[in-house]
Amino acid sequence: MSELNRERREMVAVLQRPGVRPDPSLRITRRTFIHRSCLTGAATVAQTFAWWPLLNTIDVAYAAEQPFKFAWVSDTHLYPKSVNMRFVEKVQRAAREVQAMNPPADFLIFGGDLAQLGRTNELELGVEILNEVKIRKVFIPGEHDWYYDMGAKWKQLFDKPNWTFDHKGVRFIGLDTVTRGPDYWTVRKMSPEERMDHMATLDGSVAGPWAGVGRDQLDWVQKTLADWDKARPVVIFSHNPLYEYYPPWNFWVRDWREVNEVLKPYTNVTNIHGHVHQVLYNEIGTMRSIGMLATSWPWPYAPEGVPKLTKPMIRADPGDFYDGVGRSEISMKNDRIENEYIMWGRKEVFVQSAPDSSLSQPEILRPRIADQLGPY
Amino acid sequence: MTTRTTFLFALCIASLVGLLVEIAVPVGPANANKDPVTPQQLKAYEEAFMEQVRKGDLLFHGDAATAKQMNVILTNTGMACAMCHPFASDTHPHAFPKYQVSMAKFATLRDMINWCIEKPNQGEKIDSDSDAMKALEAYIYWSNTGSVLVPGRY
Repeated sequence: MSELNRERREMVAVLQRPGVRPDPSLRITRRTFIHRSCLTGAATVAQTFAWWPLLNTIDVAYAAEQPFKFAWVSDTHLYPKSVNMRFVEKVQRAAREVQAMNPPADFLIFGGDLAQLGRTNELELGVEILNEVKIRKVFIPGEHDWYYDMGAKWKQLFDKPNWTFDHKGVRFIGLDTVTRGPDYWTVRKMSPEERMDHMATLDGSVAGPWAGVGRDQLDWVQKTLADWDKARPVVIFSHNPLYEYYPPWNFWVRDWREVNEVLKPYTNVTNIHGHVHQVLYNEIGTMRSIGMLATSWPWPYAPEGVPKLTKPMIRADPGDFYDGVGRSEISMKNDRIENEYIMWGRKEVFVQSAPDSSLSQPEILRPRIADQLGPY
Repeated sequence: MTTRTTFLFALCIASLVGLLVEIAVPVGPANANKDPVTPQQLKAYEEAFMEQVRKGDLLFHGDAATAKQMNVILTNTGMACAMCHPFASDTHPHAFPKYQVSMAKFATLRDMINWCIEKPNQGEKIDSDSDAMKALEAYIYWSNTGSVLVPGRY
């Protein structure tokens, strides 16, 4: 049995015990659309028609004291304007749209990977564009932001990579899942550019399992939640998903077991994450997890490990740079939180039939080799 | 009548055999001396293939030195093939040739590679039989070694 399969089995055994799910107050709301497969009674509710994300909404009991909205933008992967204006224009669009939200969002969470290669001018360009957004902005880092100068510029611009605040009855936590990668550069005597290039290659094999929360930060989370009613809503923002989806692309945090241990007492935890550039939904123990779209480009689903609760997004048209990408608006009304994907390229975010899904053609893929052959 | 037919038939057969012998005498010995493939040969063939896979992997992942060495400009946007296709996923080499909607024509994998170079990457189209194209093709096929052939599939 491969290591990946062994880990998957362990995750199911540890986290998906019978009867353990997020808060049972989950309800279908008006924003839910009913999928064709349900209307026709089709029982082929396998991965392609998995039933949770037929609802694009989440209910959280005992939630907001007052209704409010917040906005999510992430994975803009900005190059300097001289290299690529396409990505710039999409961030400008996202900023304009967030600022124009009506009713306005209370805050914008930027979920990491503002820059593509972590350069100062890329990060500063991101700040400049997002200055269009006048509401409160909070930031967590992505790996693309960090590994050129080990976060020096990012910290100068945005301060700490993890934080918490309470807003209208909800405890929000920004987690840093990117800065504790194992040191692969010192022994190989890499330059900052080389270190960053390996980190910026999603399917590279040199940077290894860099995504993690870390014991120190988990202790901080535990302390942060110590005074919080265990049934009240907690929303955790992270760049990487807080469970194991596909480790070769760091679609996980390597210490997901410890994360689960810390969050286990809390019955109403919602994790909202970036990095995957795709629609995702999963439930792990008492935590539900939602993957967000990038503004830059969409990624196909990994060849294995897509959560069965995910209703896949459409297969994007590579000729349309606004397809398969976008942002999210999250509303908290009375006792529920609703996520609305704003995908710029089309109205239907989710697949309507199997051929619309990248999962309709199973692939068996090999990891790359060339980055292991040198020059290191 | 029967005797005459049999005689003519035998004559034809004899002529045919004679003709084959005449062809086989100069050609035959070269083919007859083939040896079974050796482990060394297999290793050499494998290495020749994997060298192309390695080059293709580097091109696919935007390695500037390899692109320069092979005299190709695959991108002008900072995008590399692997940024949309990690592990060459969603390239579906096993589905080609097929009607490719984005090109509105019946297309090969090589056509598709060039489409991606020209459109999303805004690079320069490469010769369909060039070394770079063969290397990219080698890497994409190698990555998808386990995938099942479904030519023509959308």
